[in-house]
Amino acid sequence: MDATAAATASATKSGTERSAAAPDPILSVDRLVKRFDTREGLVTAVDGLSLTVAKGEFVGVIGPSGCGKSTLFNVIGGLIEADEGTVTVAGQPVNGPHPAIGMLFQDESTFPWRTVIDNVAFPLEIAHVPKAERHDRARHFVRLVGLDGFEKRYPAELSGGMRQRVSMARTLAAQPEIMLMDEPFAALDEQTRLLLGDKLLQIQQELRQTTLLITHSITEAVQLSDRILVMTYRPGKVKRMVTIELPRPRSSEIVSSDEFGHYVARIWSDLREEATKGLRDDEAHLLRGQHP
Amino acid sequence: MSSATAIARSPALPFVLGVGTLVVALAILELVVSLGLVNPFVMPMPTEVFAALPRLIVEEHAFQRFLLTATEALTAGLLVAIVGIAAGALLYRFVLLRQATETWVAAAASAPTVLLYPLFLVIFGRNSATIVAMGFVAGLAPIILKTLEGLCTTRSVLINVGRSFNLTPSQQFRKILFPAALPTIFVGLRIGLIFTMLNIVGVEFLINFGGLGQLINEMADRYDIPGTYAAILFVVLVSVLVFILIERLERWLRPE
Amino acid sequence: MAETGVTTTQVREPARPFVQPVTLLRIALIVGILALWEALSWSGLLFRDVVPSLLAIGRALIDTFADAGFYFHLYTTTYEIALAMLIGGLSGLVVGLLLGGSPLLSKAYEVYLYYLGPCPKIIFFPLMLLWFGVGPGSKIAMGAISCFFPIALNTAGGMREIDRIFIRVGRSFRANTWQMVTKIYLPAMRYPVINGIRLGLGVALIGTLLAETKLSNRGMGFLVIQAYEFFRMPEMYALLIILFVIAIGANALIGRMGGIATIKRA
Repeated sequence: MDATAAATASATKSGTERSAAAPDPILSVDRLVKRFDTREGLVTAVDGLSLTVAKGEFVGVIGPSGCGKSTLFNVIGGLIEADEGTVTVAGQPVNGPHPAIGMLFQDESTFPWRTVIDNVAFPLEIAHVPKAERHDRARHFVRLVGLDGFEKRYPAELSGGMRQRVSMARTLAAQPEIMLMDEPFAALDEQTRLLLGDKLLQIQQELRQTTLLITHSITEAVQLSDRILVMTYRPGKVKRMVTIELPRPRSSEIVSSDEFGHYVARIWSDLREEATKGLRDDEAHLLRGQHP
Repeated sequence: MSSATAIARSPALPFVLGVGTLVVALAILELVVSLGLVNPFVMPMPTEVFAALPRLIVEEHAFQRFLLTATEALTAGLLVAIVGIAAGALLYRFVLLRQATETWVAAAASAPTVLLYPLFLVIFGRNSATIVAMGFVAGLAPIILKTLEGLCTTRSVLINVGRSFNLTPSQQFRKILFPAALPTIFVGLRIGLIFTMLNIVGVEFLINFGGLGQLINEMADRYDIPGTYAAILFVVLVSVLVFILIERLERWLRPE
Repeated sequence: MAETGVTTTQVREPARPFVQPVTLLRIALIVGILALWEALSWSGLLFRDVVPSLLAIGRALIDTFADAGFYFHLYTTTYEIALAMLIGGLSGLVVGLLLGGSPLLSKAYEVYLYYLGPCPKIIFFPLMLLWFGVGPGSKIAMGAISCFFPIALNTAGGMREIDRIFIRVGRSFRANTWQMVTKIYLPAMRYPVINGIRLGLGVALIGTLLAETKLSNRGMGFLVIQAYEFFRMPEMYALLIILFVIAIGANALIGRMGGIATIKRA
């Protein structure tokens, strides 16, 4: 008990130093700044955020609503440009969607007009992979997410959780060096989330897929991640880097362990501070008659 | 904001772009025709076309013709509105009839009724009756369908309110169903009246009788090319104006 | 059953009528209208042959289908409409994609399309004659400008309604423009586009046929106006019936492909 508590304490204390020294990072974000022009003037969403992700690592990013998590996701993914700072993936600078980066979105994103197998084969189509090979490779990933048998079905015939799995398989089929996920389970119920989290752990184990997961669920972050970046409220910066030293392979049963609880409590105390700032900010905006 | 972004964001830019393109196109046309690159018999200079407009108004009595077309349109419009709404209400009232004929009416809505004009020529002769009848037939189906739709989709809670007050079926219809259906009925009227108007001008042109449609025909028959272009332009402008008016009217009658 | 002491009550389904009342009413209505027609035809109230006997119309239909010349005219009209749809449809699609994809272009130009749309296109026919001559060219042009507008407007509107997420997915997989258009934009807006094509076919049909009735020496429209000029009424009715069946049938077919009810979406 003491040992684990001590380990947790030392991990969180030296967390910030450890992140900068990640050996041979696949992803390197250096002092990222992104501002937006809104009706109320220039708003800094992300202010000088730096992080690295090593090969095979699973990094979680957690923060209160409005902290710039989704902005971070979009900038790293190359969908929007940073104002200052750089993003480097596999040694190359990112200034547009990069083949080494796979993106999994929060919103329902399966193509309703394509079957499951055709959805998953989509990145292979774009890359001009020959037709015969395409379906074989896609089938492998459909099986990986546990949807074998559903290849010829249309997304409308599947549940929300299954559709997210299709989207996941589609992103994995492109075999990116690093997978970016923006709250992929946000629209699902708690039980489905836990089960999909399990699925994600299995996949991670099998593929050793480097992953950056953006989430607002502490339990999800702790369950899945090797390290967690806690963001401040807007403008988003690194508040703390927490190394999760829970043993791998993990399963959803880990949520009932003591260490798990300690990590969650630790992170929540950081998060609460930032979330409260966010709440106060929203209220102030509403009082002024503005959008939060 | 740089001046470039300021211009790009100004609300006037799209309007200027649209109108500007038009002006530039006309200018190019003017140049091309005056240089003899295009046969002026086929495509006269835009300035000539615009010059023909006052001639149309004065010599060809364009406004009187417009009034004639308008009269035909109004007559047909009134007829089709009354008959259409009544038929829609009838279909609502008699469920079996509705179930039997609704698909027929829907099919009629997509049918090329204007092709019947030779038939109507035989029945009514080459006169205003044919034109009004064609306009009537064109706008009927949409109005019936939309009236029916409006009545059928009245929220059940409103009907229950009426029943809770023990309203007679006639009162129920007058005080609840019909007012509730009005917005949809107005949509139907807009669609139907536009079809009516469209067909009236078209048939006037085809049978060479009536107001504005006939004007175009006459100009073409006389090989008055600038006049033909001018007449067509005039009709287009009138039809656009009427369309805008109907839209405004509908929006005014449907404050939501 | 009796030994167990448990009584099973069977719910009797209400006896379903052999023929549904709706079908009965439909048959009754059709028979009634046809009977009225025949009565009118025999009464001599209207000028002779304005309401020809059903038998005469039937005979005219058979004669029409037996006439080899009819198929030539049918082919002409079909060929004209097909080309009109190709030209008007493709340009409408392209313009719709451009307008739908650019808010600036849309705000600048779409309003012209929107207000020109409800204008009767047949009045442009004299211009088509000037530009394309008396032959099929002017009819094809007539059909093309007719179907251009609904297809362009529906395509532009459909593009704007595409769920943004599909575009983000496409971009995140680095699809090029052609791939974006063919694999994402067009499939995502298949319903508005099909609806536009359905409406476009309707007006292309009308435009082409009316042009044929006005000035042509071939085509279905020409046949109709010929029947009028020679007062061959049963033949005119037969031709109109054929035209209406084709028009309504094509509309229903495309509507089914798009899975939409007709005017209720307006």
